[in-house]
Amino acid sequence: MATEHAHAAAADPLAGVPVLLGNHTDETLTDTLFGHVWRKPGFGWYALFGLALAGFGLFVLAIAVTLYKGIGAWGNNIPVGWAFGIINFVWWIGIGHAGTLISAILLLFQQKWRTSINRFAEAMTIFAVIQALVFPVIHTGRPWYAAYFLFPYPSTNSIWPQFKSPLMWDVFAVSTYFTISLLFWFMGLIPDLASLRDRSKGKLQKIVYGILSLGWRGSGKHWHNWKVAYLIMAGISTPLVLSVHSVVSFDFAVALLPGWHATIFPPYFVAGAVFSGFAMVVTWIVPARRFLGLKDVITMRHLENMNKIILVTGLIVSYGYLMEHFIAWYSGNEYEWSVFVNRATGPYAGVYWLMITCNVVTPNLFWFKKIRTSIPAMWILSILVNIGMWCERFIIIVTSLHRGFVPSTWEMYYPTWVDFTLFAGTIGFFSTLFLLFMRFLPAVATAEVKEARHEMEIGHVHHHPGLMKAGLPEGHAAH
Amino acid sequence: MSRYWVLAEFAGPKALLTAARILRDEGLANVDLHSPHPIDGADEVLGLGASRVRWVGLVGGLVGAVTGYVTCWYTNAINFPIDVGGRPLNSAPAFIPVTFEAGVLFGAFALLFSMLAITGLPALYHPVFEAPGFERVSVDAYWLSFSIRSAEDRANEVAERVKAMGATRVSVVKDPRLEAMR
Repeated sequence: MATEHAHAAAADPLAGVPVLLGNHTDETLTDTLFGHVWRKPGFGWYALFGLALAGFGLFVLAIAVTLYKGIGAWGNNIPVGWAFGIINFVWWIGIGHAGTLISAILLLFQQKWRTSINRFAEAMTIFAVIQALVFPVIHTGRPWYAAYFLFPYPSTNSIWPQFKSPLMWDVFAVSTYFTISLLFWFMGLIPDLASLRDRSKGKLQKIVYGILSLGWRGSGKHWHNWKVAYLIMAGISTPLVLSVHSVVSFDFAVALLPGWHATIFPPYFVAGAVFSGFAMVVTWIVPARRFLGLKDVITMRHLENMNKIILVTGLIVSYGYLMEHFIAWYSGNEYEWSVFVNRATGPYAGVYWLMITCNVVTPNLFWFKKIRTSIPAMWILSILVNIGMWCERFIIIVTSLHRGFVPSTWEMYYPTWVDFTLFAGTIGFFSTLFLLFMRFLPAVATAEVKEARHEMEIGHVHHHPGLMKAGLPEGHAAH
Repeated sequence: MSRYWVLAEFAGPKALLTAARILRDEGLANVDLHSPHPIDGADEVLGLGASRVRWVGLVGGLVGAVTGYVTCWYTNAINFPIDVGGRPLNSAPAFIPVTFEAGVLFGAFALLFSMLAITGLPALYHPVFEAPGFERVSVDAYWLSFSIRSAEDRANEVAERVKAMGATRVSVVKDPRLEAMR
């Protein structure tokens, strides 16, 4: 880390660590950023991949048990009819949000630092949404029948989905979100796939990357249309990402249940989603930049910026908690208030206070630059955020359901081993996909980094002297 | 007469744009640039107007939004009326999420497919790939390409002139696709 601090410009406090380190040409950039694709993976990758595959095994096992025995294998029952299934669904969907935020919203705001991390974060989005989709689909019990009531097609039952239900909105929001994330990611990948095709040594690589890159020639006409399509895609992804977690929050907020029926839910869910998503990016990018050799491109500047976003969204989430509690008290509704008292002092108080610790207390350590720029500290804090956000969903869902309006509907909820196995399994599946991604595709949007590097050279961003370490002459060595 | 592709490599984006501008001023319509990243000013030099992708995207989005709304309305208010808590059968606020999501979904597909249609992708083969060194375009090289229908001598002549504009290397590739079609 010492070398990274050494580059920090002392004069301009806004400059900080550059977003691109080292004297890179386009060629060395390509070699550095594709290095991890061409290198034979080391023992570490195989060890992690083995572990992830074992986790994926748990995933298969839990799903097999659930399909064989039915949903009774899970711990949810009346009154807690929704539990791990929806907790994990919301948790994973939320994690995905950082990817879209980085790739779309930061693109619209012309945040140049995003180009180093957007590919990585978008991949995370796609893999996280896949995990999220598993839960509601399996929760239908017989997923192969799910299409009957989820998609509006003229079935022989001559009945249609109920479109006034937030659950239907959710189906459309999440499936659209997944599709758009995939298209956006693929569009961004095309130029890099072409680059991989052109650098391939083996025949198989050449064919596979060749087909995936669609014959991209980097032509002026290609870039011209690609840029417009990419930008508009970012433009429509921005309201989309805000809509997705808003719709997820409607699953709760539209219900007339104390603890759920709150107007603050949509913005507070979106902030929580971005909060947990950035934390997940930090958790993965810290080891990845080291082992994939990406430290020149993913610098302390990126990490610090992400930690700042974690801090800001953490404060928004804290405000959400504060408001939720205040309104519960201020409403004068004793059912509403008793839910909140029960959260803090009832049988699930441990989970509640863990949530408060991880989401409200510890993120504030990021106020200190020392902690914001310390690799071990940010790694641990980012994991705490995701523990906290999981607890938040547990608290919102379970404590609101487990004590109804009359004590005869009071019942405790306990997850079963199948619940835990499926949750662990999705983490395994997610890791498997992520490790495969880091093995076969460039983790950094190389073409975009090159463009950013050239723009910095030309001096479009002279007013941000800290963006790059040194201006480089145009062009490159003859080859 | 066959179709020949003249390909020339330049040292950097500036030299490339200068050469392209000269060629276009001379009346060559099908000049194209190839670069590892978008070049600032290329659109203007190539005479590319606003991309039509945006209009196709807009139409796609609108078609999607209308489809979304009509689906909700037709299924829940007309074909199989569902009374939910006494709300109107055609309850616009409740149909907005699906309308919006469908608009985004259709719009995004329209963007992707129109981009592919306009750029002529996927096209796994193209004669420009035959030029030695062209594979560096996706790494760090800047190339210019155009095609002419002429005799081989004439194509070589043009290539010489491009070389004189400061190209570091020039290739002439005969388009095999036309030969095959004959």
